[in-house]
Amino acid sequence: MADRLNMQVMLLILGLVFAFLYLPISVLVGLSFNAGGMPTAWTGFSLKWYGALFANRDILRAAGNTLIVGLVSAGIATILGTLLAIGIEIRRRKGRLLETLIFAPMVIPDIVLAIALLSFFSLLDVRLGLHTVILAHVVFNLAFVCAVVRARLKSFDWSIVEASADLGASMLTTLRRVVLPALAPAIIAGGLLAFTLSVDEFIIAFFTAGPERASITLPMQIYAMIRFGVTPEINVLATLVIGFSLVTLALSQRLNRGGLPGQ
Amino acid sequence: MTSLLSIRHVEKHFGRVRAVNGVSLDIRENEFFALLGSSGSGKTTLLRMLAGFETLSGGQILLNGRDISNVPPNHRPVNLMFQSYALFPHMTVAQNIAYGLEMEKLPRAEIRARVDEILGTIQLSALAARKPEQLSGGQRQRVALARALVKRPQLLLLDEPLGALDKKLRSEMQLELKRIQHQFGITFIIVTHDQEEALVMADRIAILQHGELVQCAPPREVYEHPATRFAAEFIGVMNVFPVQRDGMRLTAADGSLIHASIPEGLGAEIVAAVRPERLRLDAETCDNRLSGRIIATAYHGLDLQVHVATPAMAKPMVCRVTADAAEARNFRAGDLLTLGWNSADTRLFAA
Amino acid sequence: MQDRRSLVLVAPAFAWLTAFMVVPCLLILALAFFRRGLYGGIDYEFTFENFAMVLDPLYARIFLKSAWIAGLAALIAAVVGYAAAYAIASMPRHRQPALLFFAILPFWSNYLVRTYAWIVLLNREGLIVGIARALGFSGEMPQMLYTEGAVVLGLVYNYLPFVILAAYAPLSRLNPEISEASRDLGAGRWTTFRRVVLPITLPGVATGFVFVFVLSIGNFVTPALLGGGQFQMIGNLVYDQFLSANDWPFGSALSMVLIAVMLVLLTAQTFANERASTGRQSAEPVDG
Repeated sequence: MADRLNMQVMLLILGLVFAFLYLPISVLVGLSFNAGGMPTAWTGFSLKWYGALFANRDILRAAGNTLIVGLVSAGIATILGTLLAIGIEIRRRKGRLLETLIFAPMVIPDIVLAIALLSFFSLLDVRLGLHTVILAHVVFNLAFVCAVVRARLKSFDWSIVEASADLGASMLTTLRRVVLPALAPAIIAGGLLAFTLSVDEFIIAFFTAGPERASITLPMQIYAMIRFGVTPEINVLATLVIGFSLVTLALSQRLNRGGLPGQ
Repeated sequence: MTSLLSIRHVEKHFGRVRAVNGVSLDIRENEFFALLGSSGSGKTTLLRMLAGFETLSGGQILLNGRDISNVPPNHRPVNLMFQSYALFPHMTVAQNIAYGLEMEKLPRAEIRARVDEILGTIQLSALAARKPEQLSGGQRQRVALARALVKRPQLLLLDEPLGALDKKLRSEMQLELKRIQHQFGITFIIVTHDQEEALVMADRIAILQHGELVQCAPPREVYEHPATRFAAEFIGVMNVFPVQRDGMRLTAADGSLIHASIPEGLGAEIVAAVRPERLRLDAETCDNRLSGRIIATAYHGLDLQVHVATPAMAKPMVCRVTADAAEARNFRAGDLLTLGWNSADTRLFAA
Repeated sequence: MQDRRSLVLVAPAFAWLTAFMVVPCLLILALAFFRRGLYGGIDYEFTFENFAMVLDPLYARIFLKSAWIAGLAALIAAVVGYAAAYAIASMPRHRQPALLFFAILPFWSNYLVRTYAWIVLLNREGLIVGIARALGFSGEMPQMLYTEGAVVLGLVYNYLPFVILAAYAPLSRLNPEISEASRDLGAGRWTTFRRVVLPITLPGVATGFVFVFVLSIGNFVTPALLGGGQFQMIGNLVYDQFLSANDWPFGSALSMVLIAVMLVLLTAQTFANERASTGRQSAEPVDG
């Protein structure tokens, strides 16, 4: 009856939206295996563009840089963000200032943070490079790790901390033996998320990496390539980047059943 | 008496689950009717079918002789007061109440007059401009009631209307609901899992179990003459113990003779049941007697509950003794005594 | 005591955010009030000139254009996102988490790659033209890439998952008995939606709208890639001031305006939400 019609309309909407969301990406993935390499004609399945990509030294170097930035900034952010989350949650007085401070990196437009850091580094005469990108990436990674860990802490049973203290453990021992193991899934998930974000981040890296070719990250490389137009190599690179994000995200989701933080 | 609503062989299946299984009921004009059952008994599903939110898998629902089974909820002269009250959070009390009248496209002046009138009836005129979240639980309940009543439905359905209130408020509202039902002269069908609520408020009670109708009768009959063992145990407290049947002879587990009239069609597997207030302590005159020992007493203000271990029953039997009788004889745990009751107060059911 | 101990945990992150976010932001706030030096440096001399320049017709037009494009993208994303969230919320409960997950998933893949996908589809030798040709369409194809429409499309595509998430939250929290109550009181499906469901769940969409607007108006990647430099948005203007025109004070002033727009919108939206949900403004008793 009317209900069934209603359901069909809803399914139609979902179908259209999912098609809109996934078709463009799927086209890229499909094209990366196209022997001819051009979007207008399918000339057979081939992995030759993958081979070509792995022979491109610029791309390999950019990928290496990205891994360095991602790993180091996610690592620092995981430690600082976890401590921050625990610190905030055990505070009795919730400071409005602190809340704003950790919310800010998520809402400040990337370009503003990017030019602010560029101005800051050049005023202090800091040489730009991968290290400045790392310093910058920790800022927003920190906020994300903190958000994921705090979400887990909301359902955390604090009486186990008191139980640990009651049994004679010091604050540090309690943190190490009780709190951190209980939070481990959320911490790892937050770290993975930070890593994904950092690997994909373009704007801030673009402004804080400096002009040297040696400090180009993968998104910067992709941006430069895209500006030259459609090439089979970008299709391959795009496919790999999408695949990489999905795998890390799936892993993070698996570890932390609390759900995906929606920015 | 004319019947307002006829429920005929109504069925509702969810996949393989039969939520409502061939229920037939006739509900009269101006009646306060209760659908009583535990969760999963099908009472709420039945109510939602009456409101139009569930389609029927079988059977018919007639209102004033007209089949309304396929009429959508917004075209039924039936209103539902939801268990969660379902007040519109973005509207004031007055706007909530006016909503249903606006749907009837009534003139604004009339809507206003009727909203004001009903606000007076439920004594909430002062809160007309409040939003639901600024009201107490009891106030929200009144608004939900007013919102449904203001449309002057032929039939008002109430889904666990007092479920969210605390105990004291609940007993006040039981009387209030009866008063309002009387004042408006509208048929009420209430769904509840609370047998006491049903006994206090309803003119008739339908007991449902596993989607089937067990008994439909006035409160007194349901209490005194339950149709099945389930009905007997569901309503009030009942002492139930197994008895041996040998022709017309009944014996308890310890061999004591049990006197009772045996209904027709009862097989060999039988239980006997007797209400706590029908039991006498130290009563040698009763025709049914069991020896027992007091294991505990519990003071309830008006009366004293005495728990007596007997050989007839695995659990102790519960006896209600009035406060006066309790004072006359000081019952103590460990006392030995004889429990007695009359054969006329004994009910027999299939086990 | 507990609070003092917690400071030790909070301090490192606090210091990091102060050094690499608060101070740099304050720095460009200060820069916005200095004068541009003759050869691209900075003269440390207080001035409002940079903000005055924002109002210059040349830049004001860019501002309006950006607001128009961002507004259009936010509006389309809000409508489509709400419809999608509504559809997800009307599916069986146990299916909803997975549907929501897959609706948001693209949001976590690379922004550049997602934008690039549209170049592949829209460009003159792209997939859409190819398909049209294969279907026998031989006339002149309209220019699709490097248009305003392409930029709006790209922004909607990139930020849609975000609106779906924001709109889904209040829709999934909505007590189904609320819609049933409306139906029971005599309202049809459409009236129920318009008068009950939509007003209650609108705040989520409003949050989504504001975020898409803010993210779009400061965006320079999408206009550069899909707009092909045909027109500028504020993001591109800021980009130019820092990387080519070398007018850092003006670039800083533009950023500050961007931040101001964002703050105003977020505050207005928070205020509107609070007002909508509490309604304490109308607590006094009504006339008769």
